[in-house]
Amino acid sequence: MPLDIIVGIKWVPNTTAVNIDPKTGTLIREGIPSVVNPHDLTAVEMALKLKDKYGGSVTAISMAPPSALAGLEHVIGMGVDRGILASDRAFAGADTLATSYVLAKVIEKIGRFDLVIMGHETIDSSTAHIGAQVASWLNLPYVYYVVDAVLEDDGNTLEVTRILENAYEKYRIRLPAVISIAMHTFNPRRVRLSEKLRAKMEKPIEIWSIKDLEIDPNCAGLRGSPTVVSGIDFVPKVPRKNEVFQGSDPKEAARWLLSKLIEEGLLDL
Amino acid sequence: MASKKMLCSEWEPINPMEYKGIWVYVEVEGGHIHEASLQLLGEARRIADELDTYVGAVIIGYGIKELAREPIYYGADKVFVVDDPRLEKYYPNLYGDVVCKLAKKHKPEALLVGGTMRGRELAPYIANNLKTGITADLTSIEVDKETGDIILIRPPFGAWMLAHIKTRNRRPVMGSVRPNIFPTPERNEDRDGEVIEETIDEVLDPRMEYLEYTPIEKAEEIPIEKADIIVSGGKGLGSKEGFKLLEELAELLGGVIAGSRKAVDAGWIPHDRQVGQTGKTVKPNIYFAVGISGAAQHIFGIREAKRVVAINIDPDAPIFENADYGIVGDYKEIIPALIEVIKEMKMKKSGSAKN
Repeated sequence: MPLDIIVGIKWVPNTTAVNIDPKTGTLIREGIPSVVNPHDLTAVEMALKLKDKYGGSVTAISMAPPSALAGLEHVIGMGVDRGILASDRAFAGADTLATSYVLAKVIEKIGRFDLVIMGHETIDSSTAHIGAQVASWLNLPYVYYVVDAVLEDDGNTLEVTRILENAYEKYRIRLPAVISIAMHTFNPRRVRLSEKLRAKMEKPIEIWSIKDLEIDPNCAGLRGSPTVVSGIDFVPKVPRKNEVFQGSDPKEAARWLLSKLIEEGLLDL
Repeated sequence: MASKKMLCSEWEPINPMEYKGIWVYVEVEGGHIHEASLQLLGEARRIADELDTYVGAVIIGYGIKELAREPIYYGADKVFVVDDPRLEKYYPNLYGDVVCKLAKKHKPEALLVGGTMRGRELAPYIANNLKTGITADLTSIEVDKETGDIILIRPPFGAWMLAHIKTRNRRPVMGSVRPNIFPTPERNEDRDGEVIEETIDEVLDPRMEYLEYTPIEKAEEIPIEKADIIVSGGKGLGSKEGFKLLEELAELLGGVIAGSRKAVDAGWIPHDRQVGQTGKTVKPNIYFAVGISGAAQHIFGIREAKRVVAINIDPDAPIFENADYGIVGDYKEIIPALIEVIKEMKMKKSGSAKN
């Protein structure tokens, strides 16, 4: 009973130290290298593990500018069969509603699939919205924070275990369905040169435009986004003492620090 | 705004003027209302008063009627209750569908959801079914004095700034809020309000079956949001092993360990111990930031710490600007020195006590 799986990936700046242009409120991405969102690589690993076990296919999808092709090439290098990049100027400025709409349209156009897998959240905006939103657009059952998934003998239900703050929950979920994988559940496999070469030869990555997807331009990008940034201001800074120990002896430093804290009544030693 | 609005064909037209009330989705877990929901009721009360509207609480499940008045004691004017055997088990799509049905019927202006793990799973589904936008992890809410628009505020990633987010053309305005962003209001049984029992004819087929609930046996650890002393580690620790030293120091001081987002992303410390805007807001007396560079999001999570101690090898790390006491140096030398001196002081004390 092979499983045809779709994985969502996002191409994100590889840092949390991105700055914002105070005049425009937009991110300054220049000079910051991008990577595939690490939690999405966990999702890719889950998809590949399921494919290893049950057979089938893994297709990675993403909505981004063409520079994100490198991200799709990376996951193809891990063993993903096919990549689809939804890319169009009309997609720019999308909030999560408009982004999930485009991704849902991509999934619809792919047509045949059993399972959509997403990462826990992204390291840049960490909303964790897209999985639920895609499930809503496609009217599919969904569950987040999955740590284990087993295909049942009937071939169209998946038994999933997911983790919450204080418990594990087990659900039986009818396919097709959407799941997100809890962070750090698996170590993503390495990119293999042979797979990357295959990507170069076979060109399994396609770029789909707004026309290819037959999307109403009012539903995509900034125009399709109900939420807009209406203003930016600075985080009020908490006043701190800013006292720094002058010296290099660790024990001296420790004594200095502890005496300060004891003096203030914050420690009782 | 242009007079001829070009709106997405998937959206049914709405008139924002018809939408009234600030709603809170009240999460019930193990027969109790989650504290994150109570915290939102307090904030909803403030916004509702500013807009001269009501606070609505939505509480759904099975056998939950006895909890129905509870939201009133924390600030709700109306509680919409669906007590239905079909809601005995939690399925995100089914619960989302029921909340959407109530929202379509009563048209709230805003809907807030506590950012628990289930809340973060549920909220975007509700928003999307209503074809409205949603802001994750908002940290404050304002009302535009001129237009009366509700503005949700969240720090964009990694910057010393706050994005003000407006919702155009769609209602309700939706947001999720991490636990402990807002204080829990005082419970007041004298508060008056109305419980409205709702019935749902047809519910969505969840296409899921709930099989099992297994509580995670956790050591009796103090949750970081309640700890007085926190020893927190970041990327600068270099490895998971580094946390062993931090744990030793924390234990000696009766505190707990925590970590930055980078330490969590690296898998060195569990997600429930993450401090920062996408983790937890903490309020200890002393917060030790060890090997933490001090990204804006992290600083945000420690804004209510009484004292911040920074230990970092990089004298230019931004954490020093946001600390009360700083030590520049290798944590592998500083932490053992701290442990040693504390042990000496404790020995002296017990020694003098004997005398």
